[in-house]
Amino acid sequence: MSEMLRAPAEVKYADELDYLESVDTDPKPFSWRLSPRMVRLFVLGSERADGLDREIPQKWFGDRTFVERSIVTLASDRGLLLIGDPGTGKSWLAELLAAAICRNSTLVVQGTAGTTEDHIKYSWNVSMVIARGQSRESMIPSPIMTAMEQGVIGRFEELTRSTSDVQDALISILSEKYVSIPELNDDNIVFARPGFSVIATANSRDRGVNDLSSALKRRFNFVRIPVVTNKRSEAEIVRFRTEELLRRHRIELEVPPTLLDILLQSFADLRTAAAAATSDDEKLESALSTAEQIGVLEDAILHSQFFGDRMLRAETLAGSLMGSLARRSPEDLAILNKYLHGVVEPRAKQDGGGWEGFLDGGRQAIAALS
Amino acid sequence: MTAAVAGPFGALRQQLTDAAVAFADSPDALAGILAGLVDDVDRALAVPLEIFPVCHHSPASALAMLRRLRAKQPRVIYLELCEDLQPLLGELRNCRLPVAVQAFAAELDGHPAEWGPLSVVAPITESSAEYQAIAYALETPGVELVLVDRSTDHVFQWLPRDRPEPTRPGGGEVDAGEDGGRPGDEGALHGDAVGVEIGDLRPGFAELEAYLLHHGKVRHWSEWWDQYVEQPLADADHDTYRQVMVLIGSLFRRLRPARSARLDRDEDRERYMWTRMREHLAASGVDPADCLYVCGAFHAASHVEQFGLAADAPAYEISPRTGTRWHYGLIPSSHSAIEAQFGLAPGSVSIAAATWTKALTRAGLTGYRLDGQRGSRTRAKGRRAVAGAVPGTGVTDRLSGFLAAPPEPGGLDEAELRGWCVDIVRLARRNGYLASTADAIAVFETAILLAGLRNRARPTPYDFADAAVTCIEKDVVPGRRDVRRLCEILLGGDRVGQVGYDALPPLARDVLDRLRPLGLDLEKRTVQRALLDLDADPRLAPCSDLLWMLRYLLPPDAVRPIMGERRLGHRSIQESWDLALGRNQRALIELGYEGVTVEQVLEQRLRRAVRGPEATASGALAAVEEAIRLLDSPRLVDELGARAVELLAAERTVDDAPEVLRRIRRLLAHYRATAPALPAWCAGFVTAGYAHYCTLLPTAVVDEQTGVRQVGAMLGFLFSMESLALSLGCDRTQLELAVAQSHPEAPAKVALLWAARHQLGLLPLAELRARCADLLANRLVVPTFPQYLSGFVQALEPVPGLAPFVVELMSTAFGQLPDPILLPWLPTLITTLREHGPELVPLLIREAGRTFPGGLATLDAWVPPWAAPAAAPTPAGPVARAGPVVRLLVDHPEAVDAVAGLLGCPGEWRRADAPAHAEVAALLSQHPEATEAVAGLLAAGTG
Repeated sequence: MSEMLRAPAEVKYADELDYLESVDTDPKPFSWRLSPRMVRLFVLGSERADGLDREIPQKWFGDRTFVERSIVTLASDRGLLLIGDPGTGKSWLAELLAAAICRNSTLVVQGTAGTTEDHIKYSWNVSMVIARGQSRESMIPSPIMTAMEQGVIGRFEELTRSTSDVQDALISILSEKYVSIPELNDDNIVFARPGFSVIATANSRDRGVNDLSSALKRRFNFVRIPVVTNKRSEAEIVRFRTEELLRRHRIELEVPPTLLDILLQSFADLRTAAAAATSDDEKLESALSTAEQIGVLEDAILHSQFFGDRMLRAETLAGSLMGSLARRSPEDLAILNKYLHGVVEPRAKQDGGGWEGFLDGGRQAIAALS
Repeated sequence: MTAAVAGPFGALRQQLTDAAVAFADSPDALAGILAGLVDDVDRALAVPLEIFPVCHHSPASALAMLRRLRAKQPRVIYLELCEDLQPLLGELRNCRLPVAVQAFAAELDGHPAEWGPLSVVAPITESSAEYQAIAYALETPGVELVLVDRSTDHVFQWLPRDRPEPTRPGGGEVDAGEDGGRPGDEGALHGDAVGVEIGDLRPGFAELEAYLLHHGKVRHWSEWWDQYVEQPLADADHDTYRQVMVLIGSLFRRLRPARSARLDRDEDRERYMWTRMREHLAASGVDPADCLYVCGAFHAASHVEQFGLAADAPAYEISPRTGTRWHYGLIPSSHSAIEAQFGLAPGSVSIAAATWTKALTRAGLTGYRLDGQRGSRTRAKGRRAVAGAVPGTGVTDRLSGFLAAPPEPGGLDEAELRGWCVDIVRLARRNGYLASTADAIAVFETAILLAGLRNRARPTPYDFADAAVTCIEKDVVPGRRDVRRLCEILLGGDRVGQVGYDALPPLARDVLDRLRPLGLDLEKRTVQRALLDLDADPRLAPCSDLLWMLRYLLPPDAVRPIMGERRLGHRSIQESWDLALGRNQRALIELGYEGVTVEQVLEQRLRRAVRGPEATASGALAAVEEAIRLLDSPRLVDELGARAVELLAAERTVDDAPEVLRRIRRLLAHYRATAPALPAWCAGFVTAGYAHYCTLLPTAVVDEQTGVRQVGAMLGFLFSMESLALSLGCDRTQLELAVAQSHPEAPAKVALLWAARHQLGLLPLAELRARCADLLANRLVVPTFPQYLSGFVQALEPVPGLAPFVVELMSTAFGQLPDPILLPWLPTLITTLREHGPELVPLLIREAGRTFPGGLATLDAWVPPWAAPAAAPTPAGPVARAGPVVRLLVDHPEAVDAVAGLLGCPGEWRRADAPAHAEVAALLSQHPEATEAVAGLLAAGTG
């Protein structure tokens, strides 16, 4: 584990999963390693009332019903499509679910414009085909096909980024639950074993690029993950992810609560402004998701650690925020400038504290970017 | 076992106390609460008057009530509902439920005036315990129903006076629309009334509710209640039901902030109710064992001294009601309105109604129902109880068993769930979803899986809704309704009540009667189109009159004219209306609280408009207009007009001058066209206005608060009414003096005054032109020139003849000012004009159109009229020097001389020898043929 930069969830939380498996007495669907209730508990964390000997921390923050609906979808005949704005935790939820259900979250196909049907079904090891002819040995199964063979969960990230014909290769996989290999004369069908299902994610901002066909839509249950706007939940998420990051980088640095508040408040302000904007030019290109907040904080922490005095300061945070959010010039810069002078400046005068430093840092960053 | 653990609940009490010791850090506090719960149950059950705890909109309560009523057949039912609403309950039989009983007061006496109008509603649904009790009591001979809660007046009396407004006062009320509120007509049926209901039962503070929801793994309080109380109690026997409900009431009572205002009020209500019951028992001599006290479970666990029937309880003095006069009536309600008002989950009341129907079928029971009640079901009235009254049996502990038993499998049965799955898919297809049978199967499977995940033996309607959303909702909603909304519709939908004709107040009945000639069913909730051809069918004229009055009195969408209008002196011969009286029944009913006929209400409203402390002269003139337009009552018009004169004379500001001018002009035009003489009040208004505005002019022109528009309107009044005012005895000197005394400082007002002086003949146009030229020449003054110009634009109202000059002035400014001054000035000009003269700018543009050339071709040769050289004075008229006419006049001058003598101008005859135009004379002498031919023609004509 220590050799991995980022361990997958089933490795990272192996202890917890082992423990939960050992105490799980509920019936399990198919070949699931945990019962649906335990999967929920793994994702959402335990409470005293659950009567467990050890505490299971919460790993995904959001409405409980989303998780429940996702779990039951996977236990049913349909695939699960998590849809939402970028940075709302879709992939993280998919990874956690796959890890909890089958202890393998790495069977992933990444949807891109270059994804082909081979990535979903199978391809051939050309040299082996030349040497020995086409056989199961010379075939390279895709992650989805591997998931079918093993009866586990396959993941398809950014489904709507791949083209429609590639997407439609999933239709037969999801309805017939087998893939035929016409190149082989015998043993030419791979049947899915019980427990196989697909978790796909799609970015709602990509709508219209490669829309799903109605046939494919029918085979997926959609669970829409909204942007977290509840400040308390958001603080939890940011704290959780930042701690993980600090641990990963072995950084001894404390994030002052006031700075966390400033970060959350500034994103909340910018979201309100974006909601009130009447044209695209008046809103930031960024989705202002929780993941972006984490990115901003991560950036600021790393900057403080390696180029600063190993203390996170409001100025650094402001610089990181401006740098992350100013993607278009001059539109985004103008919005951020307006935000600095219209919102942050009065607040700095009124409340003082970290906001003053935040204002200074923001000004410097905008001056540098302009 | 000590004395404390004796009695039927001793074992349970001991068990709970032991649990407190075992689990709590400070066992005393927890033990106190837990043992207290049992004590409360013990205490409530010991009262000889049977307490029947209920919860609002709970089918389990209704079912338990039905069973109990059949078994016990009480002779007296005490109900926790405002006592002054009692007379209305009989009218429920004329309505289709849900409806709300309403108390309404517009004129307050004893309550802060800013709270008015006060409105209290108590919605009643068929699936409620209180309706069962009411129906039983009203339909069973010899049974008395007594409402014992504080009166609606006390609801407001007990409110803290320092609150800004009584949004949610009283007991049994909760904040509306936390998240259950759905926008729409049905959700707003109660208006901004305060809601009261029987058996409000909710955790006392937000954290407790959040805790219960979190651990119950549900999203909404209604769902929690349904899962943890409603379903387990659905088939419980009477004793279990009663004990559990008191226990829950006690739990929420004990877990709430101490000494809160709400708790104090609740305790006062309990004192009130017990005092009323004691009074009734003493007066009627009924055996308490024959009575039933129906109250919220919260009140069943009361700790007030008056609780119970012990003789030594201290007396509670009920404060007298205030002098506020309350009106009572029934208004339509709806499930969504109830959900919005009491903060229930959307669809929960509909689910309760469906559960109630199902429970009745399952139990083979028939609910009590008022005779003649309209509703969806067509069952006969409630089966009369046949069983004899059961004697009270000793109390046994049912709580231990209930609390220890695993949950009974409740929720949906498979067949019902299957039916719902098929129906939701069908509904989704109708709403544009690409749903199929495969989706129905998936919903079924998902609902069962979700229920399993949520520790439920069977899926509840909430699980079903979640499953439907999961399986059918995709990335976009194709129609107007999403799947969650469709589920609500499927699970009963919103039911909207209706107040029947017989239960309507006299005014509403009168309106429906008078609109009958239209041939429409106005009680329907749809919008109906009425076509009135008043020429072809004069019988419809009264309907038209009534509709116009309703248009004035009711909300805009209740009656809406599509074609036809009614202005002063104008009536359409054909009208078409969109009528939605059925949907606006509440507004019509509330109108009924103000009077018995629409005319009376309208008259009262108009009178109130002119008599109130905020009344103004322009408002009074508006009232006069409405009175002429809608009522055609000269008496009322004279009264309102006289009041307008008083108001005008008493006004110390001229803020409303433009409005006053507009309205009085319209009224004068109306009277001139329709009446032989002006009414006295109108003459009075003109003379009073003339004097009033003359008096105020000098102060208004210097007052910074008074705008140029107002001063312009004052001058407009003075100049345009001048002839009338002078004929009525006013003196022009007054105006001249007022103008002479006016010394404005603001440029706009200076310009206005110059225009006024010009109109009075004190400032010739040449001088005015010179003054303006000076202003334009002075660069220090130029920045303020737009203000002058806006003054002149405003002067177009009182001095319309100035329009050419204003156009000239503007053209000169554009022509003369250099660009560095002109260009920055233009925005100021536009904003000034936009702000100060929106209705006068068109006049200006018209004049400019008249002045400037219309085509490009003529532009080069065009010379502005003011720049053209002054034309030579022309003779009075063309002089004909020869011809038969001249000859006739020369020969017979007597007639012309006589006319001249009559007109008082003794003219002299002039010889036509010296021609004025030599060129014409030369032309005529060179070519005499045409002239001679004309003369010949004329001669022939005269000959």
